[in-house]
Order: sequence, then C-alpha cells, then structure tokens
Amino acid sequence: MKDKAPTVFLVDDDDAVRTSIRLLLRSVGLPVETFSSAQEFLDNVDGDRLGCLVLDIRMPNMSGLELQQRLNDLHHIIPVIFITGHGDIPMAVEAMQHGAVDFIQKPFRDQDLIDRINQGLEKDRINRDDLKQRDGIRERINDLTPREREVLDLVAKGKANKVIAGDLNVSQRTVEIHRARVMEKMGASSLAHLVRMVIEANRV
Amino acid sequence: MPTAAAALELQTLLDATVDAIIIIDQHGLIERFNKAAERLFGYPEHEIVGKNVSLLMGDEHRAHHDSYLRNYQATGSAKIIGTGREIEALRRDGSTFPAALSVGEIPSLQNPRFVGVIHDISIRRATMAALRQERDRAQLYLDTTEVLLVAIDTNGLIVLVNRKGCEVLGFAEAELIGRDWFEQVIPLQDRAAARAQFQAATDSTTPSYSERPVRTRHGDTRLIAWRTTVVRSSESKTLSFLSSGEDITEQRFTETQLRARESHLRAAQHIAHLGNYEYHCASGTAHWSDEMFHILGRDLGEGPASYDLFCLNYLHSDDRDGYAQEWQRILSGQPTGDFEFRIIRPNGGVRYVHLLAQTARNPSDGGLVITGTLHDVTERSLAASNAQQMQEKLAHVGRLSTMGEMATGLAHELNQPLTAIATYAQAALRLMTQADTEEDVKEALKQITAQSLRAGEVIRHLRSFVKTHVAKTEPTDLNQLVQDLRVLAEADARANTIRLVLRLEDHLPSVQADTVQIQQVLLNLFRNAIDATERGSGDSREITITTRSVDDKVEVAVIDHGSGIPTEIAANIFSPFFTTKTEGTGLGLAISNSIIRAHNGILGFRQTPGGGTTFHLTLPTLAGDDNER
Repeated sequence: MKDKAPTVFLVDDDDAVRTSIRLLLRSVGLPVETFSSAQEFLDNVDGDRLGCLVLDIRMPNMSGLELQQRLNDLHHIIPVIFITGHGDIPMAVEAMQHGAVDFIQKPFRDQDLIDRINQGLEKDRINRDDLKQRDGIRERINDLTPREREVLDLVAKGKANKVIAGDLNVSQRTVEIHRARVMEKMGASSLAHLVRMVIEANRV
Repeated sequence: MPTAAAALELQTLLDATVDAIIIIDQHGLIERFNKAAERLFGYPEHEIVGKNVSLLMGDEHRAHHDSYLRNYQATGSAKIIGTGREIEALRRDGSTFPAALSVGEIPSLQNPRFVGVIHDISIRRATMAALRQERDRAQLYLDTTEVLLVAIDTNGLIVLVNRKGCEVLGFAEAELIGRDWFEQVIPLQDRAAARAQFQAATDSTTPSYSERPVRTRHGDTRLIAWRTTVVRSSESKTLSFLSSGEDITEQRFTETQLRARESHLRAAQHIAHLGNYEYHCASGTAHWSDEMFHILGRDLGEGPASYDLFCLNYLHSDDRDGYAQEWQRILSGQPTGDFEFRIIRPNGGVRYVHLLAQTARNPSDGGLVITGTLHDVTERSLAASNAQQMQEKLAHVGRLSTMGEMATGLAHELNQPLTAIATYAQAALRLMTQADTEEDVKEALKQITAQSLRAGEVIRHLRSFVKTHVAKTEPTDLNQLVQDLRVLAEADARANTIRLVLRLEDHLPSVQADTVQIQQVLLNLFRNAIDATERGSGDSREITITTRSVDDKVEVAVIDHGSGIPTEIAANIFSPFFTTKTEGTGLGLAISNSIIRAHNGILGFRQTPGGGTTFHLTLPTLAGDDNER
C-alpha cells in the first residue's frame, strides 16, 4: 500500500459536486478516490496511505468537522482541505483551528482547488518525512545506555562537560568519552545537529 | 397715790373691758379680778382675790409660773412683758380653754405688781383648725388627683403645681414654684404660641381647651390636654390662670399608630386591588372597605348596595346567575365561598373579580354574617388570555423562523449545482486540450445542463415559498406589539442575565403592519443585541427598546451596549448570508430588511452613544398614509 502514488481522497454527499471534482482532478492527472459520506471514508481509511483529504464541511449525519475530529482522535495526520458553502465561514475558522490545511468556498476556480490540493500533498510528504526522521531519532536514542542518555539530556540543556561531570559525579574525562559515543551513535555531525535531533524527538 | 375719783375711773374701766384683767402682786397673789375675768374663769372676785394666780393656769403653765416670777425678781427681766403668749387657762369648773395672755408691770420699789390681760382664743383656734383641715383636704385632693394642676400668675410665674404635675414634669415642687412656666417646661418652638394663647385667654370667660407639648426635666416631650380657667378678683382683674391637664401622649401615640395601621391597610388593599366586606344577612347591612368602592368604580359616599341592587347594577349580566347560585349556597349553609365573576363599573369598564367568603354567626343576635374579600384580578385574567394569544402567535413566529433555516438550506441547495456546473465547465476546458477526452467532455456538458435545471428548480422552490408569505397588514399599535414581545424577549434576556428596559412613548400613532412579521424583525434585532452584549465588554448588560413618533413616522429602536459593528463589515450587514456568528445563517438582517421595506419602512442602525449598536426601524403612520393620498 505504501508504494501507491499520493491520492486525493474526496468526501462529498452531493453526487454532482463529487463527480465534477473527480473529473476535474482526473483532467490534471491526480489520482482520486471518492466517498459519499464521512462514515464511508472512516470505514476505508488507511493511515499509511499518502495523499490529502478534500472534505465537504456541511453533510448530513457526520459533518466534515466531525470527521476531522475523529481523524485527529485516531492520530491520522492526513492534511484536510475543506470545501465550504457561503455562510460557513465560522465553521471554516473552526476547522482551521483544528489543523485543516486550508479551505475553499463553493463555487471555486479550478486552479484554486488544484493549488490547495498540491499544497496538501506536499504537506503530507513533509509530515511523513518528519515522522520517519523523528522515529529514526527516537530509535537511536533508545539504543543509548542509561548513562549516555543522561549525558545527552545534559548536553542538550547546554551544560559544559565540567558541569556534567559534577552533576553525574564522574570525571570530566569520562564525560568526554560518553559524549563522543553519543555523537557517534546518534549520527550527529555537530552539537547543533544533536540538539535539533533531541528537540525533534521530543515533539509530539 | 390714786385719788378716789381715779380709783372709780379704774374700776369702771376694768369692768367695762371685754377681756379678762387680773392684777397680781410680786408673789403671784391676785389683787384684782375684773368682771370679764369672773365670766371667763367662773370665779367671783371675792373668792379668788388673795389666791395664787397659778390657780387659773393649766398644769404645764402652772409649773413654770413661779419660776418665771422668781427669775424676774432675781434678774429684773421678764420675758413676757410686752410680748404676750398663748396659754392654757383653767376655769373654776376644771375645764380649760386657749387664751392669749399679755402682761404689764406696775412698777414700785417695794411692791411691784403685774397686770395680765387674758383673751379667750378658743373660737379663733377652732376656726384655724377648721381652715387648716380644709386646706389639708384641698391639698390632698390636689395631690391625689391624676390630673395635672398648675396655676400661673399674670407674669407667667408658677404659683401652684400639684403632685401629678411634678410627677409628669419630673421636677420637684420647689423647682417649679416661682419659676416662669413657659421658660421651664414649654419647648422653645412652642413657647411663643403658648404665651399668645394665655394672653388670649385673659379675656375669655369660659375655660379654654388646648393640646400642648411640655418638656420634662428628663428631656422627654409629653403631650398634655389642658383646660385653662382665668381666676379673677371681685373687680374682674385677672389674678392667675388655673390649668388642669391630662397627659395624652400614650393615647395620642396609640391613636396615631391606629391611624397609620389603618392607612397601611388601606394602601395595601389599594396596591393589591383587594377589598374586604362584611354582610349581616339578618339586617341586610354591609360594611365595605374603601378598596371595595375603588374596585367597583363607585364613590365612597355611595354606600354598600343591597343584594338586589348589587346583582342588578354591579354584576356583568352574563355572570348574574352564577353569582346568585354561589351566594345561595353560602346562605344555605356552605361555610365558605370562592368564585370569580365580572363586574361592570358605572363607566362601562369590565373588571374580573375573585370573591372569597366565610360565614359566621353574629354573637349578639345569632344572625348569619358573611365576611370576605373581593380581589380585582383583571390584569391576571387578561394576562392569562394574552399568554394564550401569545402562544398562538409564537407558533406562527416559530413557523416563520424556520423560514430563515429554509432559506439557508435553499442557498446551500443552489450553491451545490452552481459548484458542479463551474467545476464541470472548468474540467471540460482542461479536457478539451487533451487527447481522447471527447466522452468525458460530453458527459461534463450533459451534467452542466442537468445541474442548471436543478438550480432553476431550487429557485422556483424559493419563489413559491416566499409567495406563501404575503403580509396580512392591519392597524397596529407598536407599543402593544413591543409589550406582547416582552414575554419572549425577557425569557431570552434572563437566560443571558441581561436586563430588558422598555421606554415607550405614550399616544403613539398606529401603523399599518403585519404584526407577526414586525415581531419577527424585532425579535431578530433583540437576539442580535443579546449576542452583541455577550461579545461586548460586559460592563452594561442592558438592552433598551424604545418607541417614539418622528414626524409622520413611528420609530422602534433596539439599543445595546455591546461590541458594536466594525466599519469594515457595516456595508455588508444587510447582505444575505452575511454573518459574523458561528451559528448564524446570515439571513436574519436580510429578511428583516426586506420585511421592513415591504412595509414602506426603513431599517437602519447607528452607534449607541458610549458604545454598542442601535438598530432602528421606522414605519409610516396611518395618518401619514392618509395625508399622502
């Protein structure tokens, strides 16, 4: 599944709107999968698939906002672009507050929608890279010995070797050896690189 | 030595004198005893001459007499000479009497003698005793009476005050006698009036009555009811003023309290529109409280009407039978009554009243007594029927408010085909530049046609919906309309802890309006005002609805002190689907605006002085319309 090309997932209860958008996206060569309700999408969602979600905000039963909330709860990181009606600005604002990439008002210019979708796909790629990278950093941190992790935490806090030696009640020479091992194991090219990796790993 | 003529002269003188005269020698032995002495003491002269004068004295004086004489002989000083004293004299028959004795000395070197003149004072004594007794009795009367007695002289100085007077005033008698009455006890602010009154009483022959305050020694003020008589000399000269007074402070206080309580009761009855009555069936007499007359619209002087007259002249004709039935039930033994009926006032006004009755037996004649209350419940009854009408209107307004939701839905419905059309068209344009897309383009164009028809369908739907709401206008009192709206608005306001204030101009001209539509508009403006207040700083949680007539128009304004309208959105405020609220449809003001325009009116807004927004709608008055025609 992971090998599939990034896909636009389109959820809209209106057949005409859904079909016309699908036709438009196909005309520019974007893979599209359509769903006529929020529930249908939820039932078929695959968190590992790349792409973005184009979501009608106003739908019967489960609204676009509710679906967004459910995906957040499930820790799906797929970027969401909302399609809103004329009077839905406040709902759109709420959607943005909950992490939507963007929204677009009906009716829309085709290029506007396509631009937003491309931005959404790019965002997904970056997110997944970050995630991958973050997962890698976390794995490497887990490989450190307890003592090395202590040293890493103190180094990340900006403490000098001498101070770390005092804190851990070991010789300064010992700290230097631990520190070299940490740099090597983490694959850090510099102290700044190491600190950035620690910050990245601590991000939720 | 006296000559014979002189001796005769002396003897005659002695015998003619009405007082007893006795001459004694230096040892106290009687030498002469005149005729008056014989009568007074009962001794003939020959029997008493040569006896010691102490024979004529009561025991007490007798004991001292010899020592008086010896003292005189030794010292030459006689205390009694020239002064006289009162003694107890002893008659021959052993009885005694009070007497005044004066003694003179007949000087002689060898043989000094004394002459005593004795006057019987028993009558004087008795008179004085009687007088003293009379005086004591008068004093006793003065002191035991529970009336203040005060006499003052023409200068205002106190000459007499009795025990009760002292007690009430708190002064000892000595602190009052001789003092200026007005200065001592009359409060400063009343002093001039009190003096003037006494001045006026000088010429009066009848006792005068007055109620005046006095200030006691303890600083209290007591109210005294005075009766004042002028005491005159035989030449009609004013000597003094004698006043008897009664302390009426407590009595007056009780009276005042009673009066106050009565007036409270009257006021309470007036406020509550609650009268009470008492009806004695045997005699047919009745008592009505003042409020009974007010409720029935009668003058106080008209008096309670008889039963028949009451039924005929006071009762609403439709309620007479019901009233008679209820009343009959009470008369035939039902202990209480509780019923509502309508009365007609002389001016034709109809009032709804609630009567409570309770029966009892008159302890004196055993007759049936019905007591109870009459409560004017017109407002409550009208409010109840108003509430019912309001309920019906509410249902209507409810239907209307779905109009807003439907319009939103319709807008959405319209937006969908438009979106599809635009998207198909754009997709078709893109596809036409690509190879082998003829089928797709054809499908797109077909869809565009279908969606256009769908949009037309939506518009037809919308038009038919609007058509069903042709306004039914009628002459409308906007004050009444606002009042009717109050129930709804207040519920909203309370839920948001906002105070609703109505400031309605009296005598507002009527306007031609569909009341339900105008209420819908006002309710919408009011809800907007609540939202604006919620968004505001929260300092002034008050919304005011005002009415006023301006030239030939009537203006209703809804004034809030909320967040106000930013200038950048002010231009769009009446546009359909424009909203700043999360739950808003963006149609409220747009619909309101079109309703007011359909009424030939204007809906506008301005900034409330001090912050917030004032929405105002003006409608032409009926008179204004007539003038134009």
